[in-house]
Amino acid sequence: MVPVTNDRFAQGAWRHGADAITLDLEDGVTPALKAGARELAKDAVAVAGKGAAEVFVRVNKEFLVADIEASVWPGLAGIMLPKVESPEDVIEASEVLSSAERQRGIEPGTLSLILLLESANAVFRVREIIAASERVSQVGLDESDLSASLGISASAEYDPHVYARGRMVIEATAAGVQPIGIAHPMGTLPSLLPDEDMLKIATDSKNLGFKGIVCPHPSWIASVNTAFTPTEEQVDFYNQVRDVFAQAIAAGTAAVPFAGRMIDVPVDEWAKVVIATSTACRLRDAEKQSALEAASA
Amino acid sequence: MAEHTAVHRSGLTMPVVTPRFIDNAWRRGCDFINMDLEDSVPQNLKGYARTLIKDAIANVTKGGAEAFTRINHDLVLADLEGIVWPGLAKVNYPKAEYAEEIQTLDTIISRLERERGIRPGTVEIGANIETSVGVANAYDIAAASPRVREFGGAGGYDMSRDLGMEMFVGFDQFVYGKGEVELAARALGLEPHTAPFTANTTGSVGDPDRAFREAEAARKCGFRVGGGLHPNVVEPQTKGFTPTQEEVDEAHQILERYRELEVSGETWADIDGEIVDRYEAARARKLIDWSELCAQRDQEKAEAVARVERLGE
Repeated sequence: MVPVTNDRFAQGAWRHGADAITLDLEDGVTPALKAGARELAKDAVAVAGKGAAEVFVRVNKEFLVADIEASVWPGLAGIMLPKVESPEDVIEASEVLSSAERQRGIEPGTLSLILLLESANAVFRVREIIAASERVSQVGLDESDLSASLGISASAEYDPHVYARGRMVIEATAAGVQPIGIAHPMGTLPSLLPDEDMLKIATDSKNLGFKGIVCPHPSWIASVNTAFTPTEEQVDFYNQVRDVFAQAIAAGTAAVPFAGRMIDVPVDEWAKVVIATSTACRLRDAEKQSALEAASA
Repeated sequence: MAEHTAVHRSGLTMPVVTPRFIDNAWRRGCDFINMDLEDSVPQNLKGYARTLIKDAIANVTKGGAEAFTRINHDLVLADLEGIVWPGLAKVNYPKAEYAEEIQTLDTIISRLERERGIRPGTVEIGANIETSVGVANAYDIAAASPRVREFGGAGGYDMSRDLGMEMFVGFDQFVYGKGEVELAARALGLEPHTAPFTANTTGSVGDPDRAFREAEAARKCGFRVGGGLHPNVVEPQTKGFTPTQEEVDEAHQILERYRELEVSGETWADIDGEIVDRYEAARARKLIDWSELCAQRDQEKAEAVARVERLGE
């Protein structure tokens, strides 16, 4: 996530290996610079995509139409919509996107929406909010703003958002939408951590059901990518699981002990997922690497 | 609302196609045996597996355990036709996601009860929540049939696969889902089947110490229902879910002191730092009732085992 008005960040973001780059027109841009920021969006979208990242723009809810019109150019994957409070908010953004797609000759319905929930009302209504548009591909909590709206002064010691996070993960997954976010305390108190600690917290995030993390700083990216990519040990382990399970099936049972665990159908199914995810991550990394090399040359 | 009197502290889920598991099941001391047609049975044996249930019911219950069967989510009609016979106490339905699924089960089971001379309403439905959709629809699912008397899930392999997470990490990944199913169960007057978090970082299914800690923690959080995959966990679960003699004695003391309070017209008293009031009295009464149900159940099982031993297998 980079403010579009910070030239150094916006121009350099593509070099950091992120799967996605979100150019911010909202909280990262001071009110005096909002209009100027919009004029930067078209070029910034093109630049941010040079390393094969998907490019999103976070718009201002109060300047929805102007911000979307300024951002919808070839190379844009979608819009991050903050402060969503109702299905109507989502429908409105989707309609503005439809008209921008028409104007700019972009295939209808291709631009996606990342929704940010920032209030108790939004968390409570998450199901109808997610269901409001086919464009919704991801949903996240803005934990800082959620804390502010709930009157919570964030502390690393206690996690105030267990329920909100859990509800969003369940409802998003149930709706076939990717939940994005991070384990406590980095959602409310993001900071720069040693890589090892960042890897731990990103791994915990994955194991809470999140599918990705919005990084406020490039130093997070490598650890986050590593955390969401199956490790070699996991791939080896699950390849063994698949072999052991196949032998068990041949022997007439679908339940077999292995490495102290009980292997049955869902474990074999998960093994397939891990192995496929590993391949998909490898392909994505290669795609980014070759784009990076081509753009750097 | 009828008082829930079932005692399902310990139970083993086992593939019905593995004769050595089924033949020894009655010796394990479980409150129930859950014969599996689902994830532990290979696809090519599904049809054969369901033909085994009718005879297996008598086999697994001879030590006093109740007989349950876990059916396949996608083979409901054929599985139910194969398994609903006298002696079956419960059908476990995996990956429950919509109330309509439970209503369909109820309709089929009702017909089979009629056709096969089983008292209407006997067979319970265990609607197991194992996906995010199931959690999202938990209340409607739990409310879909009076046959749903225990309700839970929201953890385990299927759940973690649905959510795309590795299991056996050192924190509670399922806290929201478990909370939702517990709340739905409590709101409907059902017995919740869930447990507070106790770390299991190895994925072991046969660790007796862990099984005891988990069962004890679950009981202290108000839960009564257990179950597992390994014979090693049966006795620790049974013990962990049963109140200790000390707790029962203490509960009797609380009730006695509460009766004294009633006589004196006070609403509460502080006795050696412990508050005694009507809430504590109600809790004590509940603990004593549960303890008596457990003792009764243990007695039934002991008598059943003695009967088998007297008659020879």
